[in-house]
Amino acid sequence: MKNISSGKAKTFFVLIGVNILIIILLTILSPTFVTYGNLSAVMQRMSELGMLAIAETIVFISGGFDLSIGVVMALSGAVAGTLNAMGVPFGLVILIALLVGVGVGVLNSFFVVNLKLQPFIVTLATMSILRSIVYALLKGNVLTGLPTGFLDLGYFYILKIPFLFIVFIVTGVLVAILLNKTITGRKIFAVGGNEQTAFLSGIYVGKIKYLVYILSGLISAMAGLMFTIRIRAVIPDAGLNAPLEVVTAVLIGGTTIYGGKGSVLGSILGILAMYLLLNGFSLLGLNPFWNVIILGIILIVVVGQEGIGKSLKMLLPGKNREMEAL
Amino acid sequence: MSTAYQPDLQKNNLKQYFQFRELPILLYIIVIIIIFSTMIDGFFTVKSFENISRQITTIGIVSVGMTLVILTGGIDLSVGAILSFAINIGGQGIVLGWPIWLVYTVMLALGVLLGFINGFLITRVAVPALIITLGTMNIYRGITMVITDGIYITGIPSSFQTVGYGFIPLVFFVIVLAFFIFMTLQTRFGRNLFAIGEGGQSALYSGVPVNKYKIISYVLSGFLSALAGIILVGKSGFIQPQAGMGYEMSAIAAVVIGGTSIFGGSGSILGTFLGSVFMGIIIAGLTMLAINPFWIGFVTGVLIIFAIALDSLRQRRKG
Amino acid sequence: MIDIQGVSKSFPGVKALDDVSFTIEAGQVHGLVGENGAGKSTLIKILSGIHTEYSGTISIEGRPIRFASVHDAQKQGVATIFQELTIVPELSVAENIFLGREPVKLGGLINWQEMRERSVEALSFLDVPLSPKTIVGTLSIANQQIVEISKSLVLNSKIIIMDEPTSSLTEHEVKQLFLLIGRLREKGITILYVSHKLEEIFEICDTVSVFRDGKHVGTKKKTETDRDDIVKMMVGRSLQMLYPERTGKRQDLLLSVKGLTREGEFEDVTFDLYGGEIIGFAGLIGAGRTEMAKTLFGTVPFDSGEIILHGSKKLRFRHPSEALATGVAYLSEDRKGEGLMLQLTIKENMAVSILKKIAPRFFVKNKMEREIINSYAEQFKVKMVSMDQVVESLSGGNQQKVIITRLLMTESQVFIFDEPTRGIDVGAKYEIYKIMNDLTMNGKGIIFISSELPEVLGISDRIFCMREGKLVKVFDNAEADPEKIMHVLTGGEVA
Repeated sequence: MKNISSGKAKTFFVLIGVNILIIILLTILSPTFVTYGNLSAVMQRMSELGMLAIAETIVFISGGFDLSIGVVMALSGAVAGTLNAMGVPFGLVILIALLVGVGVGVLNSFFVVNLKLQPFIVTLATMSILRSIVYALLKGNVLTGLPTGFLDLGYFYILKIPFLFIVFIVTGVLVAILLNKTITGRKIFAVGGNEQTAFLSGIYVGKIKYLVYILSGLISAMAGLMFTIRIRAVIPDAGLNAPLEVVTAVLIGGTTIYGGKGSVLGSILGILAMYLLLNGFSLLGLNPFWNVIILGIILIVVVGQEGIGKSLKMLLPGKNREMEAL
Repeated sequence: MSTAYQPDLQKNNLKQYFQFRELPILLYIIVIIIIFSTMIDGFFTVKSFENISRQITTIGIVSVGMTLVILTGGIDLSVGAILSFAINIGGQGIVLGWPIWLVYTVMLALGVLLGFINGFLITRVAVPALIITLGTMNIYRGITMVITDGIYITGIPSSFQTVGYGFIPLVFFVIVLAFFIFMTLQTRFGRNLFAIGEGGQSALYSGVPVNKYKIISYVLSGFLSALAGIILVGKSGFIQPQAGMGYEMSAIAAVVIGGTSIFGGSGSILGTFLGSVFMGIIIAGLTMLAINPFWIGFVTGVLIIFAIALDSLRQRRKG
Repeated sequence: MIDIQGVSKSFPGVKALDDVSFTIEAGQVHGLVGENGAGKSTLIKILSGIHTEYSGTISIEGRPIRFASVHDAQKQGVATIFQELTIVPELSVAENIFLGREPVKLGGLINWQEMRERSVEALSFLDVPLSPKTIVGTLSIANQQIVEISKSLVLNSKIIIMDEPTSSLTEHEVKQLFLLIGRLREKGITILYVSHKLEEIFEICDTVSVFRDGKHVGTKKKTETDRDDIVKMMVGRSLQMLYPERTGKRQDLLLSVKGLTREGEFEDVTFDLYGGEIIGFAGLIGAGRTEMAKTLFGTVPFDSGEIILHGSKKLRFRHPSEALATGVAYLSEDRKGEGLMLQLTIKENMAVSILKKIAPRFFVKNKMEREIINSYAEQFKVKMVSMDQVVESLSGGNQQKVIITRLLMTESQVFIFDEPTRGIDVGAKYEIYKIMNDLTMNGKGIIFISSELPEVLGISDRIFCMREGKLVKVFDNAEADPEKIMHVLTGGEVA
């Protein structure tokens, strides 16, 4: 594409290269890797977290942070399961579950925009609040009994590709179009780039932030439903590890934590790389506890690199700091 | 202008600090005690307060460390992970039959080490403490799980349980409090923490060794997490890899409710103590009201938001 | 006492200090004056240890020095009271005075008694009724400043630099400050006093040095000079800068401002802006021009007065989008903080104003976006390798052109330019003047705020002088000259 700057193109090539590298390595090291069974399982499994990554990408680009994505996933599933058990017509159940995501988004943005609180702490707190609600709703139980028609979507394939995966990719494409090809998308980048500048250029920063968190909540709610389909049940601990995995994947994919820069494609490639890696670990019999260790290290290294890049610039003979004198 | 100058020769600065910041939280505590006492039979008894005090000691000690870190403008999400790492890895010594003093030393040393790693990364790499400690939290927990393989350590000799007996945890808590209140009020290091958290160039221009002090604050936080873990082991009699889950949330809650600003630069250990007391009372009260323990996270989250909203208002009024 | 020899300092595109040499005598109050951007703040930053890279030598008491940091400068006897005070609000007076060097007893414990006594010593020397226990955050700015001065005393500073110390003080507090300075001088401390308020300079200083365009123009004893002389030195220069010829005619009334007031910032501002004209607002720090500009644009509310557009529409914008929609555009003086999205590309920065244009039916047409941006960039000569360059990497001049181009693309009627050529090289400055000129040829009106007198004179049709929030005098370009304006700005009589 012509309008990708050279820096961006480089990131993509690196990401694609890393993915190819991982695929090659795993193909060599593990006989079961390249089987259809394994690959389609990977595609299924990465769908929900992929959705969360898409959601978090939007939030990062706007300069914000959303730690509540995992718990919204659990909450939408919990609400769906509970309402279903109460006999509510399933179409309505789905609608309400999605609205829950929207509601959480509104709540988060209220604190961030109207009360002007820091997004990290706010979503840290809402994460805790909502997780409680999930436990309270489910009373610690696992819920089943959701309509099989719904759950069987997990067995539904289009051209041999899992339906859930397609939903994930389609969402990714839609969001990418939103970000890159609409005015609203440009505004989101602008707000992340510099809120004051965006404001002075006539953008309603508050409205954009509301939109961003609502989208994040909505997509996370969708992810929750997808998760429920995949495991055919609703569990209270859904999405517990999500923040670490998603944030790491999004950062690997080239989106920055400071806002203004990022891409859905990058995040998808990042999540792909991460899931291939995790899949490889499990195929090779690596203790699953190693997963979080490696993710944590990758997170620090990736963000650290960007940070070091910035601090190196600052170290250049006092130049950049002094430029602020002007 | 006449020399109307009369220096006020008061001995210490303590009184001044008590007058303003901690008053609101003290009031909240009194109010909530009254409310719960009227709602619940047997709330206002020695036994229930004994209960509460036992519960708040572990998280309370962790919160003290968190206060130091937040004062400098940072944050430490890995406190629970450090606690777990220290007692699980150090606890392997128990299995190997090491003497108690050695085990304790190793546990505390691990806390110091992990805290140092946090501090080092945060000061060397220009990345927010939020992200770094999110990463280290997971790394530390992961390593703990790998080494313990998810297995509890039981059959711990009773000598290890002395620290957890009766009022002893509270004694430790009080000692920690006293020590750190003293440190933040009476030592150069402690006072300079406020300057560092203030955010401007003041500390730097005045020659305060900012990075060194920041690292020390993370080291102390790690140390206190390990100490809290030791007491936890004393109370519970076993060591589980999932120890300390969620402690970071409770610690942050105690700190911000106690009046310390999340932005750094203002706050107090005493306030954090009162914050832990407040949270302890609420949790105890809810438990006695037979409200499901699941709701604790809800209350914690709401309190945090309330506290930072208040703080934000306070900051804006200042500026 | 302080010997400055051949000191120069450049930033990309700008020579902030050009071979500056002069001497500051010991034990005197030495004033430093000059317009904004004349170089005084750069010199201060070098002396206080903020800028560590510069050419030339500075010697204190015969010893050549080069400070590695502010702390280093303090240790060697140079303390600076910056305009933005470096006090810690949460700590007490005594703790602030001794920040970083608290006297300690065994074990790292603070020796409160010693700290208190020595603070009291400093405070009573200054004869100020402050208690060492008071929390500094509760003090007035004047008193906070006194705390900083006490700090320098206790540091045994030989030199105290004060940068615009009276900008936030009341008249009474200023008098109090002068008494303090007198006491400091009695003690043999050398004071470097930077201010644009000439009446203060003449009241408190023994000697005055004038800076202009990065050069040291002269140093004179108070007794050997007067106000006129100083003003001449501040502004007198050969007009090397060329300005495009203004040939446009004044057109319809665009904007009418009546009695605009905002408490604490500006008062009773009244003027008219016609199409085709550039009105320049001259003023020194604290004059209130930027606040007034922001009020016109709607980001800062006003208390009373009226803003009338095209003679009939009364304006009170609640959001920049309303202003832009009505045809009022604003260029902020804070290029990096409010004008640019530094990490984004040229294209992304520029596109923000034309979002509706490049997305006629909902989707952004990338090709159209690039074409429009290319044509504007060419028209206004924005130097770029490709529009996908990150804006942070551009020179100041080019960055400014990106912002200006973005504003021009809004096709507004009224343009407010706040310090558009600050920190920019000569070539880019001329191009920006040309852009402004062309705008007015097309019937637009420009409100031009600048601290550089030459350019205000060079390109404005009328010159408005603001001082401390009030519109003090209006000159027609023909009847104005730098000295007259500077007189008005620094508090001289309004002839």
